[in-house]
Amino acid sequence: MKYADWPLSAPVNITWEITHQCNLHCIHCLSASSKASPGELTFEECKQTVDELARLKVFEINFGGGEPLLKEYFLPLLRYIHTKGIVTCVSTNGTVLTKEAVALFTGNRLVNIQVSLDGATAEVNDRIRGEGTFRNIISGIELLSRKNIPLSVNTVVTSQNFSQLNELKDLAKKYGARLRVSRFRPSGRARQSWDALRLNPAQLKEIAAWLESDLSILTGDSFFSISQDGRRKMGLDMCGACKLTCCIDPVGNVYPCAFLQDEPFYGGNLRENSFKKIWDSAPSFLRLRSLEPKACRACPRFESCRGGCPAVAYFLTKDLDAADPECLVNWIREVP
Amino acid sequence: MAHDMANSMAYRLAEDVQVRQEAWGLLFYRQAEHKVFFIRSGEWLYPEHFDGTWTLENIIEDIARRTGALVDNIETALPKLTERLTANRMLL
Repeated sequence: MKYADWPLSAPVNITWEITHQCNLHCIHCLSASSKASPGELTFEECKQTVDELARLKVFEINFGGGEPLLKEYFLPLLRYIHTKGIVTCVSTNGTVLTKEAVALFTGNRLVNIQVSLDGATAEVNDRIRGEGTFRNIISGIELLSRKNIPLSVNTVVTSQNFSQLNELKDLAKKYGARLRVSRFRPSGRARQSWDALRLNPAQLKEIAAWLESDLSILTGDSFFSISQDGRRKMGLDMCGACKLTCCIDPVGNVYPCAFLQDEPFYGGNLRENSFKKIWDSAPSFLRLRSLEPKACRACPRFESCRGGCPAVAYFLTKDLDAADPECLVNWIREVP
Repeated sequence: MAHDMANSMAYRLAEDVQVRQEAWGLLFYRQAEHKVFFIRSGEWLYPEHFDGTWTLENIIEDIARRTGALVDNIETALPKLTERLTANRMLL
């Protein structure tokens, strides 16, 4: 029995979208970020949440957004979190780094930085992240490079950049960073671009083989439904929503994960309930923890993946009992 | 002699590892790889047992006193748990 089937007292890590404000307008943004939302949490409210997360011994907070560095209190909030010994990972678009931010990150054992880049060339990257962004992102990576900052370059794998994955790995290495690849999911603005950017079965097969052949590529839990068994042994081989992780949005709403920020999955709001109460008892969380998609139960690989990514299944079919359409078993039949 | 030395060594978490109590045992987190590891130690072990001040002998006595478990059983089972932790680099 996987340990994550037991209820954990708190998440292992949290994804915290600290703002919806972003200076970019990427076509695949899972949060559909642009302007800050009305009523985003204040600095004091954030500190109270951090106090509770520290009491619960949440180990790590992964910040995203929007662009976290656009939040006026973000750096003071990071400093506050670090006084509690909580590890932080900041996912940034790399275009708004300040000297103060780089100084805070440098040599800080509680900070990991992830810079988003969706192509090894401007031609590919800028189609997704916007005109001129490649140049600005590389400038940001250069500011962070070789400054004793655990650094990764994060790429959402799409049909546009699929052929550049090895170049992206080399580019990351050139700057002393690792490559992290994320799965493209139809959440946020990506719903409009899903058909244009999704991988086809042959590409899914190829990426599964590529991930199996190179265990230095970071994936988080992104590709567990297509992972071959070698990579599965590295852990994070199942959906961690409500079991290992959950998501806080800019106005304090709590969801099972960053890709399930939709009404049916709403767990509660931190202005009305404690985080612990939401984690322990939100009906949507209880439902998702026991999810075993009907379409998957008879599958010989069910014990390996427990039904793939519910976010992909839900946003494509509106049915949590549907199988993840990109799971290894589904596409492997279509590819010779 | 080796047995005596093992008993006198204090258990300490590895440098980048944190630990917390769960209902079924202990959950460890290693920062460098963002990895978790667990042991189903029930009520036997606390995070404080790995703060560098508890020897194996101390821990066995503590478990026996709190839980009523037989010392022989603890002496058999506990090193297996701590060896797993050491093998997975959760302990120094």
